[in-house]
Amino acid sequence: MKTLVLGIGNPILSDDGVGIKVVEGIEDRMQKIIDSGSFGCLSDMDVRQICIGGLSLLNEISGYNRLILIDSIKTGKGKPGDVYKLAINDLGSTLHLTSSHGMGFATVIELGRRLGCKIPETIEIFAVEVEDNTTFCEECTEKVKARIPMIVDEIMGMVEWM
Amino acid sequence: MVKKITIDPITRLEGHGKIEIFLNEKGNVDKAFFQVPELRGFEKFSEGRMAEEMPRITPKICGVCPTAHHMASGKALDDLYKVDPPPAAKKIRELINSSFMAEDHTLHFFFLGGPDFIVGPQAPAKERNILGVIQKVGLDAGKKVINIRKRLRDIITKQGGKVIHPVCNLPGGISKGVTKEDREEYIQTGKDAVEFAKFSLKAFEDIVLKNNEYVDVIVGDIYKHKTYYMGLVDKDNKVNFYDGDIRVVDPEGKEFAKFKPSEYLNHIEEHVEQWSYVKFPYLKDVGWKGFVDGRDSGVYRVAPLARLNVADGMATPLAQAEYEKLFDTLGGKPAHNTLAYHWARLVELLYATERLLELAQDEEILEPNVRNIPTAVPEEGIGVVEAPRGTLYHHYKTDENGIITGVNLIVATVNNSAAMCMSIEKAARGLIKGGKVSDGLLNMVEMAFRAYDPCLACATHSLPGNMPLEIKICNLDGKLIKTLRR
Repeated sequence: MKTLVLGIGNPILSDDGVGIKVVEGIEDRMQKIIDSGSFGCLSDMDVRQICIGGLSLLNEISGYNRLILIDSIKTGKGKPGDVYKLAINDLGSTLHLTSSHGMGFATVIELGRRLGCKIPETIEIFAVEVEDNTTFCEECTEKVKARIPMIVDEIMGMVEWM
Repeated sequence: MVKKITIDPITRLEGHGKIEIFLNEKGNVDKAFFQVPELRGFEKFSEGRMAEEMPRITPKICGVCPTAHHMASGKALDDLYKVDPPPAAKKIRELINSSFMAEDHTLHFFFLGGPDFIVGPQAPAKERNILGVIQKVGLDAGKKVINIRKRLRDIITKQGGKVIHPVCNLPGGISKGVTKEDREEYIQTGKDAVEFAKFSLKAFEDIVLKNNEYVDVIVGDIYKHKTYYMGLVDKDNKVNFYDGDIRVVDPEGKEFAKFKPSEYLNHIEEHVEQWSYVKFPYLKDVGWKGFVDGRDSGVYRVAPLARLNVADGMATPLAQAEYEKLFDTLGGKPAHNTLAYHWARLVELLYATERLLELAQDEEILEPNVRNIPTAVPEEGIGVVEAPRGTLYHHYKTDENGIITGVNLIVATVNNSAAMCMSIEKAARGLIKGGKVSDGLLNMVEMAFRAYDPCLACATHSLPGNMPLEIKICNLDGKLIKTLRR
């Protein structure tokens, strides 16, 4: 099964970049495991980060069977650092295109399917509640930063090694 | 550690696309405010960094126009170090920028702004989206859009050195020339892109211009503002996205000002309102008279229709013919119809593709010398380009070691911020009478601001990835009487 682990976010906008930070953590952890000689390589899996949303995601995710996506979220109901595990259907009525640019992720997936792109059959989304995503800063806020190793652990547990 | 919830888009509303409409004692619209979130601390973030970092940092401000920021930033560094790039470097930069303009305008017309016309201004909101567009134009046309955008982006990626966010610009030039092999590919992409642009204009003609109902909406008074216009022009006063002087025309279309990018502070000032984080630029020599149009108001507009209004024509033949057709149809220059921005965007798409092809066919882009090494001591640099959404200003100050001490950016959309408020208010006036709110208000207001193709907090990417819109209608005492949401 061809898997993509994709972190989305803006690396210079505080907690908006949490998806990027998680992916960096996964990359570090994988390198250490490979260096230790315990495992040879990952089983048909790519790990990438992207600093843009909307339609551009279509090119990124096409061709994979499984997508593990890490992104920030602002529900305003949770505590900073809370992690929600979501499926596409949980993203609600994003087919309404209210934004000029921010095409909803569910819309991108539906569009890709209608256009005959090979969209992953399995999509798992880790959404991290943010505290601040409007201040320019390369670091996440403390509470969000503190949760990153746990999210990395969780995703590492989903990875197949050979 | 994991909770399962269902996300309601409304929960992301804080600060996003919030419109407040205030009614007077007769229940008619008094004023309308359009608010967007503030992104804080960019100046502080930049201070103390090396100026050369700016072309890599500034594209991340905006998830929509990274290439335009990279270009404006690169030009600001040329100016900072007083070094002129070799001709090949300028042409390659313009080639990248033309590819970007073409792919961005394509995205907007078909997938973002297009639903208003391709699906129809009167269509139910649930159909006015990208999937409704595909339904109308067919799957093959949808695939064509995806394919040409991918190929245009491939040019940016190859020359820019990185997917999405280019890293090629250096003070005095670029990091990489064009290979013969890549040039052949760019020529083919350019040829196919020109054909695609022609196809897009034909689609606009068939679907929009041949439909009297749509044309009536475009030329209707509700979407009209007689303002000043601003944009870059070349030495012949033709539209140019990458370089030239900034020209301003008055509401009658006469040249009001023409100035070098380095002189922008002599011509533009920014008005501040207590209720908005966004500043409202206006023409200094006319002055701020509030959110009103006309000769006495310093409000100006930028982006596709503004660029066509300020120019004497297009620099490429096919785009020139379309330019003439646009103004003939709209009753001459300048055209004040906000919804004609969509049409102007397609004329620019054709220009961008023709220019891309011209540059790809130019032997000079194969020249190996793509950088002049800077030797001057830096102090201050200003770079201006046309982004898809309007004139983009980058202004840096540094110490003698090239460490940033001050930054001022006028982001493209911000130039249109006063006009956007006016357009929303005008649409609201037409649809709210005696305290009664027409059901079509949300659609009409959306159409008003979507024509400008605005970037709203586009630097954030949090899920679910779309921008909900909320309209609050308040009475004279500021008491909320109705809320409309999408």
